[in-house]
Order: sequence, then structure tokens, then C-alpha cells
Amino acid sequence: MSDKIGVYVCECGPNIADKVDIKKILAEISALNEPPEKIIIAKKHKLLCSKEGQDFLADEITKNELTHLVIAACSPRDHDITFMNVCKRTDLNPYLYKLVNIREHCAWIIPDKDEATEKAIQYIRAGISRVTYQAPLTEKELDSIPDVLVIGAGIAGIEASLSLAGENRKVYLVEKTSSIGGKVTKFEKILPHQGTDLDIIQEKIQAVQENENIEIFTETEVEKAIGFFGNFEITLKNIHNDEQKNEFKVGAIVVATGFNLFNPGKIPRYGYGKMEDIYTSMEIEESNFKTGKILLKSGNPPKSAALIHCVGREEKGYCSRVCCNYMFKIAQYLKEKIPTIKITEFYQDLCLPNKADQKFFVDTKNKGVDFIRFKDIAVKQKEKEKFIEYTKIDGKKEKISAEMIILAPAIEPADGSKGMAELLNISLDETGFFQEAHQKLNPVATSIDGVFIVGSAQNPKNIPDSMMDAQAVAGKILTQLIPGEKLIPEVIISEISEAFCTGCQTCLSVCSYGAIYFDEDKNISIVNEAICRGCGNCVASCPSGAAHSKHFTSLQIYQEVLEAIR
Amino acid sequence: MNTAENESYSPKKGAVISIKDSINKTIISFFKGALEKKIFDAVLIPVKVPAGDSYTWILIEDVSLFKDAAPIAPIMPVQGANALSSLTRKGKGNLKIAAIMRPCEIRAAIELSKLEQVHLENVFLFSFDCPGALPLSDYVQNPPKGEEVFESFFTKNKWNEESIKPICKMCDNFSLPNCDLHFGILGTEKNDLLLIPNSIKGEGVLNEMGIAFKNDLSEWKKKVDEIKKQREKTKKEAYHTIQPMVEGLDNLAQTFAKCIGCHNCMSVCPICYCRQCYFDSEVSKFTSDNYLLRAEKRGGLRFPTDIILFQSGRMSHMSLSCVSCGMCEDVCPASIPIAQIFSFIANETQKAFEYQPGRNVGEPLPLKEYKEEELQELKKLVNDSVGQE
Amino acid sequence: MDKVLKINKSMEKGIIDLLKFLLESKKVDGIFTLRKLGQNNVDYALITDVSGLNDAVPFYPLMPANAGKILSHLTQKKPIKKPIAAVVRPCELRAFVELVKREQGSLENFLFISSSCGGVFPIKSIEQKDFDKYISNYWDTVKNADISADIRSTCKACEYFTPYSADITVSLVGEKKLDKECRIFLNTDKANQAIKGFDGEISEEEFESSEISSLLEKRKTEKKKLFDEIHIEDLGLEGMVEVFGKCIGCHVCSRVCPICYCILCDFESATYDYSQSDYEKELHKKGGLRLPPDTIFFQIGRLTHMSFSCVGCGMCTDVCPVDIPVAAIFQKTGEETRQLFDYLPGKDVEETIPVMIFKEEEFTELGE
Repeated sequence: MSDKIGVYVCECGPNIADKVDIKKILAEISALNEPPEKIIIAKKHKLLCSKEGQDFLADEITKNELTHLVIAACSPRDHDITFMNVCKRTDLNPYLYKLVNIREHCAWIIPDKDEATEKAIQYIRAGISRVTYQAPLTEKELDSIPDVLVIGAGIAGIEASLSLAGENRKVYLVEKTSSIGGKVTKFEKILPHQGTDLDIIQEKIQAVQENENIEIFTETEVEKAIGFFGNFEITLKNIHNDEQKNEFKVGAIVVATGFNLFNPGKIPRYGYGKMEDIYTSMEIEESNFKTGKILLKSGNPPKSAALIHCVGREEKGYCSRVCCNYMFKIAQYLKEKIPTIKITEFYQDLCLPNKADQKFFVDTKNKGVDFIRFKDIAVKQKEKEKFIEYTKIDGKKEKISAEMIILAPAIEPADGSKGMAELLNISLDETGFFQEAHQKLNPVATSIDGVFIVGSAQNPKNIPDSMMDAQAVAGKILTQLIPGEKLIPEVIISEISEAFCTGCQTCLSVCSYGAIYFDEDKNISIVNEAICRGCGNCVASCPSGAAHSKHFTSLQIYQEVLEAIR
Repeated sequence: MNTAENESYSPKKGAVISIKDSINKTIISFFKGALEKKIFDAVLIPVKVPAGDSYTWILIEDVSLFKDAAPIAPIMPVQGANALSSLTRKGKGNLKIAAIMRPCEIRAAIELSKLEQVHLENVFLFSFDCPGALPLSDYVQNPPKGEEVFESFFTKNKWNEESIKPICKMCDNFSLPNCDLHFGILGTEKNDLLLIPNSIKGEGVLNEMGIAFKNDLSEWKKKVDEIKKQREKTKKEAYHTIQPMVEGLDNLAQTFAKCIGCHNCMSVCPICYCRQCYFDSEVSKFTSDNYLLRAEKRGGLRFPTDIILFQSGRMSHMSLSCVSCGMCEDVCPASIPIAQIFSFIANETQKAFEYQPGRNVGEPLPLKEYKEEELQELKKLVNDSVGQE
Repeated sequence: MDKVLKINKSMEKGIIDLLKFLLESKKVDGIFTLRKLGQNNVDYALITDVSGLNDAVPFYPLMPANAGKILSHLTQKKPIKKPIAAVVRPCELRAFVELVKREQGSLENFLFISSSCGGVFPIKSIEQKDFDKYISNYWDTVKNADISADIRSTCKACEYFTPYSADITVSLVGEKKLDKECRIFLNTDKANQAIKGFDGEISEEEFESSEISSLLEKRKTEKKKLFDEIHIEDLGLEGMVEVFGKCIGCHVCSRVCPICYCILCDFESATYDYSQSDYEKELHKKGGLRLPPDTIFFQIGRLTHMSFSCVGCGMCTDVCPVDIPVAAIFQKTGEETRQLFDYLPGKDVEETIPVMIFKEEEFTELGE
């Protein structure tokens, strides 16, 4: 069987033609002709990437019944796909072709024409050598999956689910607790209207439960999520019963895992957990929601209350954005339920970013709540009485007693965020929240295509902003993940030779995409062809070479290099 | 719980056992007892072959087979880790197995467990203070003489014997590897042997056997440390001699001039677990054109080709896990001091990663682990060298 | 009568000059031969530069690797494109031919130079301090058509010490005047063409001398002695265990063997990875289990797979770390089996390997 290799040198306008001696190149390459085993046809063309050039190539391939194609032109970044597509028009498999860059690597960087020509010849010879060791590869088609996995059934997750389901997408909504709705279901009132919106939330929760397109899993966690945009393989696990699993495929994943409050017990000077009647804001909201009352442990309403903002702000290194507003709300709860109560709110800074916030603040002040800005603060106890000892901005040290102390701790990402990030191959930033693709310009996407973050999973967030995220993500998914679309998974992937694999799983441990699984029966590692992205980590790590890349085999590279350094 | 995961276990007390007949026979009767009590289902132990001219690993269930067994054998024809690997590679079974091996074999087994080639569940690792092993070729030429020489290590209590393998002479890791139970032979009374638990699992075995471990270990520790210091000194000197053999391509070429490319070193190495060595694969097979070209470029090409590529390639693939057992040198037909060379290199690479093979089952292999901050000294080296330019 | 070229120089100088001539006159583009390396050692090299031949020692009594195996690697993917002269021993040449029959190489473009062979020393001999004395003793025995006491045992017992497919055969055995003159037999047209223009007298002489016949007799006696020690036909399983008991399963015998050409030996493949339940069953049956298993299985397997083509080069025994007389065992087994077919491995490239041919009527006596 003889190889018929077509070598086409592009003049690239004046880019290449002026800087290398194409005639010499063609002469030397033609001299490699060794019938009948290796037949070389070497020609030049003005501009191969033009329509005329592409037609010329297609014609040459067919006319000469070429078995391999080498093009000496520009960078593969420019036109690798162009020429692969030309091959696809003919009988020549697009992986039996090589684009040799004699523009960026020779013409554009070597001033001496002879030198540039020599290097170009060297490269082309290396390319010819390599191409003869390449194997034809076939592209496969996969159906892209329009369904979506939403992790977390808080307000952001619910809104995203409804927006998607509303456009007839199937949504798998996974929640680790036993009920859906998240933290907003625990508030007596929500901002800014403090009234009617609670009904709207309840309506949304009901809508989610009734929507046929949404399948809800409570008390469930995501065990595995591997794949890529349009084709993720998901495994869910019941948190009480390891054996109870659900497996399905989705095209996109929305992380809506929400937040937790920082534990103020970690900062001893707040006395949380040590002294009585010191509560976090969440504890107050929860007990208030249940009983409609805010009472001391003794059962009596407090006569005085100190509301302390910014608990843990310094330690965490960021402002939690929503606490000022909700602390005003809590102060207003107190005033409403206990009109004679003396309330003092302590803050380091005030965060009033939304258009209704300033008004709400003033309103709270007008209701008789004192506001004090502090530099340092501590809670002390003498006998049964509690005191807030604080240093004001002007340096003056004062103290005030309070029967009830309510803390606004920093907002943290939910438990298990680290594990979730690892599971999905996305990152956490230094604050511990999920990292967005771009802080300013792409805040709901992540570094992994198809994995999105919404709500407090990304940044401490209020309800309107969470809704915004959810709707943005739905928009992105609806426009980017189209039903009926075909995906062509990467063809240049890894393969592990069954005969040579000893099952040491070194490849598995370095795979960033979770694309390798271990077959317990055969005791070998196997590449999931639909998921492998061809990064080559496994190939590099396999000591025996059992793992190899389909289009970058050691043999191909060796032969290319051998020829180049000849 | 996995064998040898107790990084924090430090043995404080041991059990004294009187030696009856010989150390080997005493250890065997311990295992016989353990098998009878069904504490183990089988024991992996060296046994003399029927022809009497070597030893092999036998997994013993029938106690009558202990007749020719020798827990501390004069030679190491097969690395114990390889024997354990052939048994447990495909996962743990139902049998509780006791394996008695040299410290370097234990270390190799632990390394292999990190590579899924050995599974240590249901395996109880036993070791002993190892006096070294005789070179395989010396022994097979005259087995009775070999037996005699080896016996003298115990009867005359002569450690640091001249007749052991060169790699053994410089071994400072000859006592208490990460095993479950360890037989201490040094620093004890003449007719005594120490059985030292080195893990919770090991303690469990002694408890089941009804063996109390209340005896002091300080004499033993002292003697071990004494010999360890001597060996460390020998090692340093040996490495000093080896260093010039591997510095620079010219020296490497000379050192491996005798190499015939048989790859036997790789075959017997416990760490080389690849079914087909990379250097035996397609990549090492070139066309006649390639070879001819290379010959023409240099005026001549040596065959077999790419010997230094194989040697340095093997070094880079396995040196982080090299336990300096010396199997390679024992089987090299060209008498190259390959174990000493690899041990030297391994020492350097392991130092760079602060890694010791076989130290701890839970300690991941450096190349399988990603650390954001690592090898800062290299960064400094690069910066310094760039600054110089 | 055979055509012979007589060179009036010592064999050492004469052969080097011939090789230099071949290269300089461009009759060949490279010489494949043994080359000096350090004090006592040699390696095989493909030399393309004439100055490189200054280090050549073509018939040095050492075989660091079987040249047949090397030539097979060299030409396995493609025949060599340019003419090469290869100086190899008779058994190495037969090994190469045997491999060519199995598509593991090509004879194209080779000019084979061989000799009547006095054998080689075991590789470990080079460690001897007075090895050069060994070498001078060796040449004495060769000249006297005698058997050197220190060569490989398979060499002592080798009766096929003259080559079959060589283009040129250098007469060494029994050549008492080897220090002064050198007789080079030209067996083919290729050989005649090659030496054209080289200084020397061409005449007609008999290659099969009385010295060669006398050495053959001595070798046959040695062979009988060697084979009698290995009464493999009586061994049975217990006997096999005696002989191969100390085998450590390193498989280096197979690695250096020219005939073992498999990319992944079957006995190293996943087929023989047993699960613990397999081991447990065997353990309960026998009460004890040797680990790693299948040592004798490998030996028997290798005997079955390749002993038929064994050329008796002795590389296996040389490299065995536990001194098992592998070569003698395999050679004897091979010869006994081959008696059924009247076949000599590597003698003639046209002769198909009997185990690879199907004949409808064969061994009918077994059926009776």
C-alpha cells in the first residue's frame, strides 16, 4: 500500500512568498518522492484559505487520490478547521492531514531568507513524517440534552426552575433538607415591602411542586456529575440511604446552594454561647416566625436590646451586604411587638446599596432606634447584667446595658461548598464563595461551560438580586442549550490499552474531567469517550504508555521530532 | 482498618520469646501456633526449594510445609512485595494472611498498595531486624557455603558482614518498617527474641495469642541505633563514590557501557509494575531508516540502542518509590552496581519531595498529588540563574 | 571446491582492512559488527564512518546480545534501504533467518559475513582481571580446532558452528596460520562482487577441512555429555521442580532469546492474573501455594512455543541469575522434537517452519 502525500505550500499573499524561497521548498520536498512506497506531490498556491484555494485543495485530493495531506501555511489557530473541513468534502479523513506553520514559525520571524527556507523545509519534512503515522479518526454525534439540574431549592433555585420549566425544559431540582423554599420561608416579613411578598413566595413554592416539568428530590445530594455542556451524567444519592440512587443526564447545572451564617461563637468577645439571651439574627427570625413573639429565655419581653452588625466581618474580610437591612427590619419587629423597648444598633459601616434602603434606614431611626458607629465592641457580663462595651469612631469608650443581644453574623457559603466545587470542577474564590467566570462581566457563569451559580452561592445576596440571577441563568441556558442540537464530542481523546493497563489508577487520579473510571471486574481503567477532552494528563502520567492520545501518540511525536532534528 | 496506617504508633513494649533451636524455628513455631488458633488462615514465608539450592515464597495453610521454611532467609530471590502483589492485586480475599518479609520488602509492598498492585486489607505484615542478604549468584554457586556464612550472622552475632550485598551494607533502614509486628533480634539476651507490636492490629494479634508484651525495648533500640549510625556512615561514603558515576552524559555512558539492555533490573524491581515497560513499547521500535540515519549522523550506532534512555527513564519513573532492596543488582548479568546507583538517585529525588517510600500507607505518592506551593527552592534557583544572565 | 580469497595479513588486520575496503569503496554503507568498549568489553555497532572501524573487533569471543535479535529489531518495520555488511556468528545468523520466516525482519540488502565459530565466553567473564589471557588461550584453541574450557557450555556442545546463509565465511577453526594469513570463503555472487578490487589471491579450496571435522567430533562428544546431564525426558513434574525450583520468574531468558519476539509475552499478560478466590481454591487443595505462581508453567510454555526454533546460542543460560542450564534444556528439547521433521532452524530461509505447515497426512503412526 503506497502513501500518496499531497504537500501544498501557501504563498499567503506576500506573507510567506516574500520571506521564503517557495521554489526551493517545492524542489526539495519533491525530491522526497520514493515511488512506489511514498509518492509526494508538491505544489504551491496563492491563498489556500480562500474559497478558490479550498476548491483547489478539494480537487487535488480527489484527482490525485491522496492518502495524506500536508499544508504548509499559517498557524493552526487560524485555519486548522478550515482545511479539515476541506478534507470532509472529499474522501480523505480529516485526521490524515497536518497543517505545518511556516508563517508564524518561519516567514514572520526569520529575516534571512535562506535560513527561513531551511527551517520551513525542515518543518515540512517533519510534518510529512508525522502525517504518515497518523490514523483516521471518526467523529461521533451526541444529542445535546436540554434538561437542567438545579442544586438547592431555595428562592434562587426555585426561580431558576420555574423560569426554565416555563419554557418546557425538564428540571431536576435537588434539595438536601426535607422541604423546599430555603431560608425565605422562615421570615415573618421580607423586605422591602414587608408584607404581601410572602404570599408570592408561597405561590412560587406551590408552583414548583405542581409543575410537571420539575422533578423534586428532597433529602438528596449530588454524588457524581461528570461531562460537559450539553451532556452531563448525574448521579443523585439519598442522604439517609446510600443505596438509593438516581441517574440521569442533563445539559446544564445550576448551583443554588445558598448560605449559612458564620458562627459567632468563634469570636469569644461576643459572648455567644456563653452568656444567656445572645442570639443570631436567624435564630430570632425563626423563633419569631414560629411564635410571633420575641422573648428572653425567661419568657419575658426584653426591655432593651442591642443589635450588633458586622459580626465576623473583619475575620471574613468582606461585607455581607444584606445584614444592615434585615437588622433594621428586626429592629422594627421589636418596636412593633414591644413598643417600649430601647433598641440600640451598633454598626461599623452601613451598607445601603438599593434604592429603597436609605428610606428604610431613616424610617427605622424615626421609630426610635439609636444607631451607634463603633470601632471596637465587646459583650461583657457582670452578675446577671450584660453590657455592650464599645469604642466610638472618635475614640471615646462607652458602655450600655442590654437585656437581649442580637448579632448579625457574616454570611458564609453553605456547608459542603468545597465538596461541591470539587464535584463540579469549579473553583471557590478566597472568600469561599463559588467563583464566577468573570466578576464584572459574567457573574452567573463559572469556568466550566454549562455550570452556573446563582443566589448566595456566589455572593451574600438579597431576594431581588437572587431572582435576577435565577432569571439571568434561565435566559442563558434557554439560549445556549438548544433542544435537538447535536454535539460532537472531542475526537482527539485518550485511550487506554486493555492489554497493557495494570489498574494502578494513576491516570484516574490526575484526570481533571472525571473522564476515567475503573472497571472492578477487569481491574483496568477505561476512558469515557463522551467526556474525555483530550488534555493528555493521563497519557503523561501513565508510566507504561498504556494510556495514549489518539492523535498525539508517542510514535507520531517521536517521528516528527526525529525528522525535524535530522 | 488498613495495615500500617498508624503513623503515630510508637512501640513501647514488646514480648520476650525464648529461642528454641534457632531464631528461624522459633518464629516458625509462633506462626504454627497462630495458624492453629486460626488467627491467620495462611502464612506467606520463604521456603527452601526441594533441590535445596534456593528459596521461594510459599503461602502455607498446611503446617507440615513449615518443615523447610526460613522466615529469615539468606537470599532474596524474589521481592516479597511481588509475591504479595501476585496474591492481592485483584483485591482482598477472604483469607487472613500473615506475611513475614524483610523491611525493604514491607516498604515496597506499601508503595505498591498506593498503586493498586497490593491490597493490604486482611494482610498482617511481619518483619524482623534484617542482617542483609547474600548476593544471589554467590549463594547459588555454593548453597551450603551460603547457609554457613548466613548462620554465622546469628550464632556469632556479626552484623555488618562483608559477604552481604553491597546495597545491604549501606542499609540504615533495616529495622522496624511500617509493619504490624516486628521480631527484634538485636540487643537482646543471647537466647531471647523480642516480638514487638507496631500497630493496633499487631497488638490485637498478640492479645489473641495470649502473649503479653510488657518488656522493655530500650536495649534493643540502643543496639539498632548503634548499627544504624554505622550504616548511615557507610551509606554516605558509598553515595560519594557513586555520584561521579552518574554526573553528566559521559559518565553515564561509561557506567552503562556494559549494559546489554536485557531489562532484568526492571523485571525483578517491585516498583516496576507496568505490564509492558514504556521502553519496550512501540516508541522504542524505529524503522531501519531511523537507525541508519542515526548511525550515519554519528559515524556509528551502538546496539541495542537507547540504553541510557531506558536507565534514566526508569530512574525518573520509579526513583521516588525506590526502596533500595537491591533485586536489580542481584540479577544484572553485566555486574553493574545498579542498586547502588538507583539508591543514590532515589535518595536525591525523595529528598526533594521530603518523601520516604513505605513510610506510611496514607502518604500519597508525590507525583499523584497537587500542591499549590511546592519546590520553592527550584523557583529560587531559576530566579537566581535568570538574574545571573 | 569452494572459492576462497586469501589475504596475506593476520586475520585481525585482514578482516578490518576488508571491512574498511567495503565501506570506502561504497560497496556497503555501513558495517554491523562487534566494537571494542573499555578494557575487556564489546558491543554491537552499526558503523558508517571508516575511522569507526579502528575499534572493530569482528570475531571477539563475546556475545553481549544475539545479533540475530538485533538485526530483527533493525529491519522489523522496514527492510534496510542501503547495503550493510553484517559480521555475525553462525547461530546468530540462523536466529535471524528463523525470525525472517516469521516476518520479524528482512534479509534484503545485507552482506552476511560469518565464520567457523570457536564459541564465546559467558558475559560475566569480562570481570576477570586476566581476561586477556583468556582471549589468547581462546585463539590458541581455535587454531588447534580444540574446545576452550571457559566458553559457554552450549558453545562447547555446538555442532552447527559453520554458517549456512553467509555470503562470506571467514575460516577460523583449525587455521594455524591465523596470525599471518586469512582465508575468506566467497559463497555467493554478492560476495564475489563485494570483494572485487580488494587485494588478495582468489583460488579454489575445500572449506570442510579435516580440522573442522575433528572439531565436530569433539563437539558432538561434549554435546552428548551436556545432554546426558539433562535427562529432561525422564524428569516428570517432580524432576522439573528440581531443575526449575530456583527459577525466580524474571523471564530474562525470554528477553534475550532471539526467537522470543512477542511484544507482550502471553505469560505476562492479564490472562494469568488470578483473583484471590482462584488462589484460595488452589491453596485449600494443596495446603501450600508458591508465589508468584506459574514458574514451571512459564518454562513449559516457552519450551512449547519456541524450543522448536532454538538455535543454541546460549544467551539464556548466560543471563540467568540463578544459573539454571536453560540453554541445554531448551536445546535438547528442541532437537528431540525436530528429529520428527528433519529440520534445522535458520538453515534455509525458503524452508518453512514445520509447525507452521499443515499436512493432511502426517504422524499417521500416532493414530495406529
